[in-house]
Amino acid sequence: MRLAGRFGGAALSLLMVAVLGFFLFRVVPGDPVVSMTRGRPTTAAMQAELRAQFGLDRPLHEQFWSYFTSLLHGDLGTSFTFRRPVSEVIGERLGPTLLLVGTATLIAVLLGLWLGVRAAWRRDSVFDRVTTGVSLTLWAVPTFWLGMLLMMVTGDLFPSRGMRDTDTAPDFVSQALDVGHHLVLPSVTLVAVVCAEYALVMRSSLLEEMHAPYLTTARAKGLRDDLVRRRHAVPNAVLPAITLVFLRFGLVVAGAITTETVFSWPGLGLLFYDALTGPDYFLLQGLLVVTAGAVVVMNLLADLLHGVLDPRVKVV
Amino acid sequence: MLELKNLSVHYGPKRVVSEVDLTLAPGQTLGLAGESGSGKSTVAMSVLRLLPKAARVQGEILLDGDDVRTMSWGRLRAVRWASASIVFQGAMHSLNPVRRVGDQIAEPMRLHGTRGGVTELLEQVELPREKARAYPHELSGGQRQRVMIAMALACGPRLVIADEPTTALDVVVQAQVLAVLKRLVAEQDLGLLMISHDLSVLAETCDDLAVMHRGEVVERGRTREVIANPRHPHTAALTAAFPVIGDPAHRWAEPAAAPEPLLRVRDLVVDYGRTRAVDGVDLTIGRGEIVALVGQSGSGKTTLARTIMGLRKPSSGRVIFDGAEVARTGKALKAFRRQVQLVLQDPSSALNPRHTVFDAVAEGLRVHGLADDQEALVTAAVERAELRPASLYLEALPHELSGGQQQRVVIAGALVLQPRLLVADEPVASLDASVRGEIVALLLRLRRELGLASLIITHDLGLAWQIADRVAVMHQGKIVEQGSVEQVLLTPAHDYTRALLRAVPQV
Repeated sequence: MRLAGRFGGAALSLLMVAVLGFFLFRVVPGDPVVSMTRGRPTTAAMQAELRAQFGLDRPLHEQFWSYFTSLLHGDLGTSFTFRRPVSEVIGERLGPTLLLVGTATLIAVLLGLWLGVRAAWRRDSVFDRVTTGVSLTLWAVPTFWLGMLLMMVTGDLFPSRGMRDTDTAPDFVSQALDVGHHLVLPSVTLVAVVCAEYALVMRSSLLEEMHAPYLTTARAKGLRDDLVRRRHAVPNAVLPAITLVFLRFGLVVAGAITTETVFSWPGLGLLFYDALTGPDYFLLQGLLVVTAGAVVVMNLLADLLHGVLDPRVKVV
Repeated sequence: MLELKNLSVHYGPKRVVSEVDLTLAPGQTLGLAGESGSGKSTVAMSVLRLLPKAARVQGEILLDGDDVRTMSWGRLRAVRWASASIVFQGAMHSLNPVRRVGDQIAEPMRLHGTRGGVTELLEQVELPREKARAYPHELSGGQRQRVMIAMALACGPRLVIADEPTTALDVVVQAQVLAVLKRLVAEQDLGLLMISHDLSVLAETCDDLAVMHRGEVVERGRTREVIANPRHPHTAALTAAFPVIGDPAHRWAEPAAAPEPLLRVRDLVVDYGRTRAVDGVDLTIGRGEIVALVGQSGSGKTTLARTIMGLRKPSSGRVIFDGAEVARTGKALKAFRRQVQLVLQDPSSALNPRHTVFDAVAEGLRVHGLADDQEALVTAAVERAELRPASLYLEALPHELSGGQQQRVVIAGALVLQPRLLVADEPVASLDASVRGEIVALLLRLRRELGLASLIITHDLGLAWQIADRVAVMHQGKIVEQGSVEQVLLTPAHDYTRALLRAVPQV
């Protein structure tokens, strides 16, 4: 029953996202057709033709209905700038973003949780002070600035633009190595920011558990200090951090905008940036639906996983 | 087996245990009694070197002849649980909430290489084997405590330390848990060091008794003798604080003439979903009368109290206060609530830690828009609650007060609205023995001077004997028996009342 409730809630959120995605771009000022044809000589007849082509001349509710039914079929309309279906454009950018965000998240989770646990367990040690200080700093600095700083510091060591070089040999190994080489700077930038947050959350969460009576029980049983931490303290303290990781992952898909723009990484973030400069309404609308949908789905996953990890939460 | 020689523990400059000497032979049962802050738990924790780093321990702690203080970490870990284990107060948070209890019981066995099975251990404490797969939150308080006992016995220790093992359990469950513990200690010829603030619990379980006060052992001897002829005034105060049912000296309430009714509850039913929490209850409280509502946890007594106070809507039935039906909404309900005030069990969590005494007491006045002359009203209420002079206390924060003083602040917060009925949910359960008597006396004095009626919700039959005019016994949502204190507690008519009375530990 509760499980059905969670899915129902997620479905409702997705529906709201779809509705919002449509109306948000209808209330912003500016005529899409005018901005589409900016800089080019156009007649009123040509504009009318374009309006008809994109369905902008029909009443709002008709537009909404056709948008909504197409959405259910996976059709997000056609991009003005790319002159191709939005779903196709987004689809080919999804891979690079998932590669970047996935790599960064994986590293950030492992590193951040480890740093947080160690810092909390030895509270007020040099390690704790350094970790906390560095984390706060990284969390506070603007991402684009950090990215550009990294670029300057590393010089020519790592490529700073795009995802692959044109002159790389076509075999799989060379291609993979090339992409990996390109991945270093953007993923380091993203790790630095996200990892700091994970470390801080993990640290404070473990600090709250440090005086729990069940840890005294574990010590009294004769467990070594690191077993007390691994078997008893961390499994309890990690629960809020796991939720955060999943929520973040959903947000990071969209939130990699600055990183991708700085390093010209051909993912959704860069696409977002391009669509905004257009502005390309149908593309923006599609991106909004996809990224907001990702957050909703990740939120649902976090809920489900929490139910698996914490027996006190009855989800299934 | 265990020998403490000249044991002292300091936290910074503060001495919490001073020069304690205790010995425990195999098969001996020793009770360590004392109020909160007397240092009794510190002594227990020092045996397995479990005190926080800030603690400075002096003296000798000999466990089977070895000094725990100077053991290497490896040796200490080997000794922990295998030579001596601890039954913590498991009702709360001493079990890991995200691991199955079976794993938690098996953990020290794997660690110390002990053979045996979780199933047999669970059988010893009379739990079905399926409970091994349960998580702590899926068990009742009594079951969790049995798990703690099974866990303590897992590695076959010769010494078991039990730290408040039955606090927070109700009388019936407490009696069951104590019976299990006593049987196992006798069967396996274990040494038992049991720590409690409750002398009657120690009297049930231990042959010998040591009483601690401000970090010192002030008296020790055979339990019977110490309780029968206390030599130290503190021991005397502790024994006197636990009322003996049937003893006229412990009956503090003056006999009152039959009063006219103030609150009448008629055929009240409260449902939580499909569960019937209160099932057709009739109850009357007279003007200035003190009625004790007794029953186990889960009997529905708290739900009944909440419904009487208008905090919950009844499914059917009526609540009549001062001749008129209690309103369920709006201004009339608010006016009614002013006349009925609540006193909760644990004053340290009932008070906002950031509010001064003045703020805490004045809050009710503000809620009810009685802003005029706040200071005089608050001062009067605080003095009524016997915090004199009030000026000493008004600016204090809760953590600067003792448990008894905090409970007086809670009572003052109720009194400031000049209520006619006080609903008190376990008003003395979390207080030390010596303070308990003072709060009971205060409630009786308020009745005498202000004509204040009270409904005391408790599982403590001794408290009912001490304070109440009438007793109502609640079981599974129904009031199974009610009448005068003497009638119900001395000549109980219902089986359940008799069962409750049997479970009360005898001093």
